[in-house]
Amino acid sequence: MLNKQIPTDTETVLNEVLKSEPQYSLPEHFADMVATKVARKFAWESYFGEFLIYLGVIAGILLVSAIMAFIWFNADLKEWAQFFVSNISWVAGINILALFILFADRVLLRYLFYKMSLKPS
Amino acid sequence: MSMNDAELVQQVLSGNENAFRFLVAKHERLVLHVAGRVIQSQDDVKDVCQEVFIKVFRKLKHFRGDSRLSTWIATIAYNTSISHIRKKMRQPEYSYDEQPALVSGEEDTLPAQGLAEKEEIKKYLLQLIEELPVHYRTVLTLFHLEEFSYKEIEQITAMPEGTIKSYLSRARKILKGKLERIAELEKTNIFVNYAE
Repeated sequence: MLNKQIPTDTETVLNEVLKSEPQYSLPEHFADMVATKVARKFAWESYFGEFLIYLGVIAGILLVSAIMAFIWFNADLKEWAQFFVSNISWVAGINILALFILFADRVLLRYLFYKMSLKPS
Repeated sequence: MSMNDAELVQQVLSGNENAFRFLVAKHERLVLHVAGRVIQSQDDVKDVCQEVFIKVFRKLKHFRGDSRLSTWIATIAYNTSISHIRKKMRQPEYSYDEQPALVSGEEDTLPAQGLAEKEEIKKYLLQLIEELPVHYRTVLTLFHLEEFSYKEIEQITAMPEGTIKSYLSRARKILKGKLERIAELEKTNIFVNYAE
């Protein structure tokens, strides 16, 4: 009687064990944590993407302006190069400053305000 | 894809943070089971699960609804977990064998006594499942715990259906063999009692 019952009962135990959850766990508010993290990441990436688009547009405008200057106003490339080389620190400084202002305005401050808005009042 | 899945995906894609929170809450157990059984480390499981959901969020726009959302998420969970253990494997202090010998099937690791209690038998079998090779553990979890079909498991793990069936049957055989040996060793009628 016992021998005949073992296979069936073994199956029952085995099926029950196979349906038991493994001994791993996640924090209680895992879903909130992940959703917040993903939202932050997404916000940063979308702000940064926007910044790159602005940068591209500004660079494009400058490039088109330079091309127009060479075609219609007969600008001299050598003179321009000389001007940039002799004022390299000013040119570099102004560019870095403009870049930083754009980055701070389009990315840093917006992200900061976004993070502040997440904090409960 | 069920209507609910489609709606949920649409909501997440339109930027609804609460919808994504709901998606995570709905599938976190599935991801935990898959990742837990593959990586077997409580310390790493949270990070891997987090990584899985970040990937889900990023790739959601590519989800076409050819399969259930849970199958698609399980695929990401499985691939992320496998990559995680492969990365760990490359670290010199970590040794991991994807296809170890079937320790639980070939070596006699049965405890001599003290398994008369039903709960203890279950604990022992759960431990044996953890000792099975990673692909065995994965298919057992997906088939029995998460109740995916063979086709879905094939899609998740990229293993042929025949291999999945063979892994399942071998794993069950190993575990069943152990159980029957316990029954013999104990020489009690615990299983009769259990069935009652």
